[in-house]
Amino acid sequence: MDCFIEFKNVVKRFDNFVALDHVSLQIPKGSFVTLLGPSGCGKTTLMRQLAGFSEPEEGDVLVNGKRMNGLPPFKRNTPLVFQEYALFPHMTVYENISYGLKLNKTPKEEMDKRVAEMLEMFNLVGLEKRFPKQMSGGQQQRVAFARALVMGQEILLLDEPLSNLDAKLRVEVRTELRQLQQKLGITTIYVTHDQDEALSMSDIIAVMKGGRIEQIGSPWEIYFRPVNRFVADFVGTVNFLAGKVLRAEGKTLVIDYSGMELRVPGEVDAGPGEAVTLVVRPECIHLAGPGEVISGGAVLDGAIENYSFLGRIIRYWVRVGQELFVIDDANVDLAGARTGAVKLCLDARKLHILKDGGGHAAS
Amino acid sequence: MASGTSIRESAKEMRRLKNEPLLLLAIVAIILFVGFFVVYPVVRVITFPSLQDYAQLFGKARWFKAVKNSLYMTLISTLSCTAVAFLFAYVIARLDVPCKGLFRFVTLLPIVSPPFIVALSYILLFGVQGIVTKGLLGLQVDIYGRLGLWIVQTVTFFPYAYSVIYGVIRSISTNLEYAAYNMGATRWQVFRDVFFPLCRPGIAGGALIAAINVLTDFGNPMMIGGDLALLPTEAYMQISGWYDMKTASVLAVALLVPAIAIFLVNRFWVGKRSYVTITGKEISLNPFPVPQWVKWGLFSLTMLISLFILLVYGTLCYGAFTKAWGYDWSFTLENIQYVFLKGRQIWNSIRYGLLSSLGAAFLAMVLAYIVQKKQVGLNKALDFLAILPGAIPGMFLGIGFVMAFNGKPLELTGTSTIMVLALLFWNIPTCYSAATAGLQQIGNSVEDAALNLGANSFRSFKDVIIPLLKAPFLSGFVLSFLRSVTCLSVVIFLYAPSTTVGTISVMVLVQSGQWGEAAAFTMILIAIAFSVLRLAQYVLGKQGIKLEL
Repeated sequence: MDCFIEFKNVVKRFDNFVALDHVSLQIPKGSFVTLLGPSGCGKTTLMRQLAGFSEPEEGDVLVNGKRMNGLPPFKRNTPLVFQEYALFPHMTVYENISYGLKLNKTPKEEMDKRVAEMLEMFNLVGLEKRFPKQMSGGQQQRVAFARALVMGQEILLLDEPLSNLDAKLRVEVRTELRQLQQKLGITTIYVTHDQDEALSMSDIIAVMKGGRIEQIGSPWEIYFRPVNRFVADFVGTVNFLAGKVLRAEGKTLVIDYSGMELRVPGEVDAGPGEAVTLVVRPECIHLAGPGEVISGGAVLDGAIENYSFLGRIIRYWVRVGQELFVIDDANVDLAGARTGAVKLCLDARKLHILKDGGGHAAS
Repeated sequence: MASGTSIRESAKEMRRLKNEPLLLLAIVAIILFVGFFVVYPVVRVITFPSLQDYAQLFGKARWFKAVKNSLYMTLISTLSCTAVAFLFAYVIARLDVPCKGLFRFVTLLPIVSPPFIVALSYILLFGVQGIVTKGLLGLQVDIYGRLGLWIVQTVTFFPYAYSVIYGVIRSISTNLEYAAYNMGATRWQVFRDVFFPLCRPGIAGGALIAAINVLTDFGNPMMIGGDLALLPTEAYMQISGWYDMKTASVLAVALLVPAIAIFLVNRFWVGKRSYVTITGKEISLNPFPVPQWVKWGLFSLTMLISLFILLVYGTLCYGAFTKAWGYDWSFTLENIQYVFLKGRQIWNSIRYGLLSSLGAAFLAMVLAYIVQKKQVGLNKALDFLAILPGAIPGMFLGIGFVMAFNGKPLELTGTSTIMVLALLFWNIPTCYSAATAGLQQIGNSVEDAALNLGANSFRSFKDVIIPLLKAPFLSGFVLSFLRSVTCLSVVIFLYAPSTTVGTISVMVLVQSGQWGEAAAFTMILIAIAFSVLRLAQYVLGKQGIKLEL
């Protein structure tokens, strides 16, 4: 895929605080890229380098091979949807959406046509004459999208645009937004701290921490093949198991975990005797009753300490020796939750190895 | 706290100004202007008397008494103002009673009126020729002095405290009271433990606003104070009677010290103690009903005070059309005609009001914009300069202007310019707070959004910032116009025969016992102020904006 937007070794400091520490990221044309991370990780700052609200001290920002550094924001054509929408309170919906077109002197006829398209696309027909304060949050948000998208459909920047919506609407909008993005083929950069949004919408996720990108990858890779404990822990819930490498067998590592041999696929550069951490997601551990027959995999004996009924799954906290496992059970019995002694079945193919060692830390 | 890093940051921000010459120019101009027209006059007044002159304050019985009287009057009038203000605010915000429109109107009247109007009306009602004392009761009483002044100041200044307290009561969520009821509190416990503590910052703020107004009040003591020696009036006598600038300065400084103290307490202590959090999403339930006897008791009290205030204004209106107050009660238009003969003074009032308010609103807008939206390393200092005139009593500023601009480097004595400039700088804090409130409503990202859509800095300022600031600009402008037209204390030291304004004429008329003409003059001033207020409310109302007073 050809690279459309590129950050090259971008450095940004605010006095002594390093907001962006040599960040590099390549964004293919037409892709949906999410910058994901906790607050203060630099995700919004990185986006603002592209929009031109702030200038990097080192490094380059390129769009289509052209260097953007030094170009003022109003010459960049990088429409942005702001977190709090930033609609102009003194302008109507029509005036808000057409403002950018008016600035680049689009002829009236074409302007009307393009605004009409946007009103149609965002279900805003009939609301043209309303002022922002006369509309609901969801409507305001659609105006914000329309105002950005009317400017062209090459680049779209989204700064946590869904954070002010209620939970249900948020899920709806994210599906619609992703469909629209794919239909129009807009190269989109999305900033969020919400892992569900990131996983469900993105082609590529860049997980950030402390001004650096920790991992770039598909949602699948980020979730199941995190490169370190931070990524594993930040995206989703995770169990960390402390193991030791016994030997390599082709593309499989044999790991010793509390006396059992686990044959974990994956090319990890770790020699015999080396301590590793096994990463396993709560839904990748299978629970079985004491009497059930289990075929294959490693089995641990545990006792349920607590559970939480979430509807589609039940989340269990299971004590195994010193360690507490988090396990999501989708195979719900209508009669009620499990209690007492259970068996934990670990499928070695669903484990992921981290080299950095360390013990168990369920979160 | 100015730590090493923050100073370095400020310096860094200031260096960045090199790239924005227009901004730099604006900042330098503002500092020079405020320095020259506010700081310099203040310094002149403070440094004019010698230490021996200051010692008089304690040595001379009359001056010491003036200090004591001023502080005493401030104390009792502030207490009564705050009590009345709390009553009005509570009844209007929390009780389900009729006539709230009337109550609101009553709290607005004294704000748009010249400050001495209540005193004037009080004389017409209860004075030697008073309609109540002489006309109805046939009494000969001396109303001048402490008691009369106390009543008059309470009526004149409670509305200032009211607007602060009302604002705070409105923002207290009734949910909190319901939460207390839910936990088993009785009505009285809810009032004592929840409602009242939440009101406290408002009450303190309102009381301090009332206090600073009472302390620096010049018009009412001048008219009704009688023999009671107070700092503002004594200072005025020193200048008008003896041309003793030294003593006047000493008295003015004695007034400045408590005024600044009140101002600082309000700004830095009360300001930080507000519990109000505006989320905008919270849905409040209707207030929990209070017992009938409490409700109607409070209503009656409020109504009684409202009727008294209406009586004050009604009397004035009656006086304006009465031949010779106390002797000949027949109807006449002569008083009104007299005002038109003195049309020049009314015209001066309007002219100076317009020019000074326009200047103040403009300067304040630029200042507020820089302080709120630009990081220039001097934000705190500029903010302080903008609010500084608010701590200076009007008469102090007046005396300062007399002393600072009666010779080199700038001689302005007796000109219209000095009147306009004094009013302009006196009004800056009013406009500045309106502009600041307006700017805080505009999120930073709105300006970014304009840039993002292709507007350069100039376009975004023109298309976004200016239209959004129209309302705060106008409300600052209208407020300071009202203040200017009704101002006496600042201009009393600065006027010349050709630059006399309406309020000064009223004072002179009252002093020579021409009640009818004085009442007519006052009515016209109120009419002008009210028309401007209503006009502005109408214009803004058409754009869906509510003018806040």
